[in-house]
Amino acid sequence: MTRRLIAVSAGLSEPSSTRLLADRLARESAEALNGGETGGAEVRTVELRGHAHAIADAMLSGFPSGALREVVDDVAAADGLILVTPTFTASYSGLFKSFIDVLDPDALQGKPVLLGATGGTERHSLMIDHAMRPLMAYLRAMPAPTGVYAASTDWGAAGLDQRIGRAAGEFAAMVAGGPVRQPVRDGFADPVPFAELLGG
Amino acid sequence: MQFGIFTVGDVTADPTTGRTPTEHERIQATVAIAKKAEEVGLDVFATGEHHNPPFVPSSPTTTLAYIAASTERIMLSTSTTLITTNDPVKIAEDYATLQHLAGGRVDLMLGRGNQGMVYPWFGQDIRQGIPLAVENYNLLHRLWREDVVDWKGRFRTPLQGFTSTPRPLDDVPPFVWHGSIRSPEIAEQAAYYGDGFFHNHIFWPPEHTKRMVELYRRRYEHYGHGAADQAIVGLGGQVYMAKNSQDAMREFRPYFDNAPVYGGGPSLEDFSEQTPLTVGSPQQVIDRTLGFRDYVGDYQRQMFLVDHAGLPLKAVLEQLDMLGGEVVPVLRKEFDALRPAHVPEAPTHASLVAAREAAAESADEKVEVPA
Repeated sequence: MTRRLIAVSAGLSEPSSTRLLADRLARESAEALNGGETGGAEVRTVELRGHAHAIADAMLSGFPSGALREVVDDVAAADGLILVTPTFTASYSGLFKSFIDVLDPDALQGKPVLLGATGGTERHSLMIDHAMRPLMAYLRAMPAPTGVYAASTDWGAAGLDQRIGRAAGEFAAMVAGGPVRQPVRDGFADPVPFAELLGG
Repeated sequence: MQFGIFTVGDVTADPTTGRTPTEHERIQATVAIAKKAEEVGLDVFATGEHHNPPFVPSSPTTTLAYIAASTERIMLSTSTTLITTNDPVKIAEDYATLQHLAGGRVDLMLGRGNQGMVYPWFGQDIRQGIPLAVENYNLLHRLWREDVVDWKGRFRTPLQGFTSTPRPLDDVPPFVWHGSIRSPEIAEQAAYYGDGFFHNHIFWPPEHTKRMVELYRRRYEHYGHGAADQAIVGLGGQVYMAKNSQDAMREFRPYFDNAPVYGGGPSLEDFSEQTPLTVGSPQQVIDRTLGFRDYVGDYQRQMFLVDHAGLPLKAVLEQLDMLGGEVVPVLRKEFDALRPAHVPEAPTHASLVAAREAAAESADEKVEVPA
């Protein structure tokens, strides 16, 4: 069975180091899955930059439309998510959070997630742990134990490769382990009978 | 097929002049719009219910009673009546009274309301929105059908030997539509009682409307009220027209761009593509509206939003002239020609009285047959 991974990059520039990190994490994760006995993985990469207007529109109109709608549906259906954001004022970017806000609150429930972040300085290295992890906890997602923070200097230093490899390995093992998701009841396919609504 | 207009009752500055109407002007305009709707041949006028600025319609039955006295034919309805924060006993009394005063020209649409702060103002909790809608309507349904009610629930004081007065006109309660954009529970509720289901249809893409209507139809059949395609469906719609479609876009754009509900968001072009909003010529409105049938099936009531976002009364009345003069007569003819014979019209007081009498007669016949 092929696992479907989505790598979401909230980087704003082109080229962007956030996208670069997302690609590295995605490639390593897919390789780990391809090398295992799980039948491999396919990766779709999404740049939020291209959906920035649609994300703002969805906040105002209440529904995601067009290409963003597809992304939202794909994220809900994915076997694993790689989420990478630049560090803005000591946290994830507003665009990243807005995207998360557009998703259905149950969309990440029980889903393996690999967290990554980029930043200008190593002094924000704990951003993943003090900002992204609480957000994932609220959404009841399952982040891999290792998150990868890449400061500008990391791109020229030893150690980033190993961190990416370890994080991707942990994430791939979680994805390969199969779904731990609670089935979400589809109220349209399987409505709650009225007698039950009335009794409740 | 019934055609009408539904208003939100917002008091919004006209972005082209900067002028905001007073509440008095807006209330009087609402009456003028309703009278005009009857004059141009529409079937239904519906008003919203809100309890906070910038909206004026906090007392829909007062407004509708006044309109009832100033009109002769048009049906009066709501869009919507808050079943969550109003006491169901008061709804039963208010709308039964209105029904007597209006000679039966009354139905109503129930909704939960979408503004969180309104719930605590009326002593309720928004997290209980669905349970409130379910329990309160169940009580309302009984109050209109049982002369003496003993009742106990979670959200309201119990009733013992209670009679809601006045009793509904001819002992036939007003027909009820249940409105919701995306809560399957409300489609289920409408189906359970065999009531109408209304989809607001103006803010969200047609996929949501389709999904909700399909669920309602399937469950309507499940509960034995008839075949799925005989369920009673109403849709909203939002239009702005001019003879020339470019003029319609140019005239409506400032209102769209500054509208409280979507101003600053998607462009007029995008929003028109993503939702049923139609800004263009009367012919474009006709074509688009006929297309609604493709995804919801044969339906019974089409309501249009024409008077919001600061549009001046004069412009709204012109819209009604076009709607009544050019659009609705064509839609009426086309929809009627497409509708199969077994699909019913929307109920009216007269049709509900007739149905009750027919049911009573057939019951009598059964009794007369010797065992």
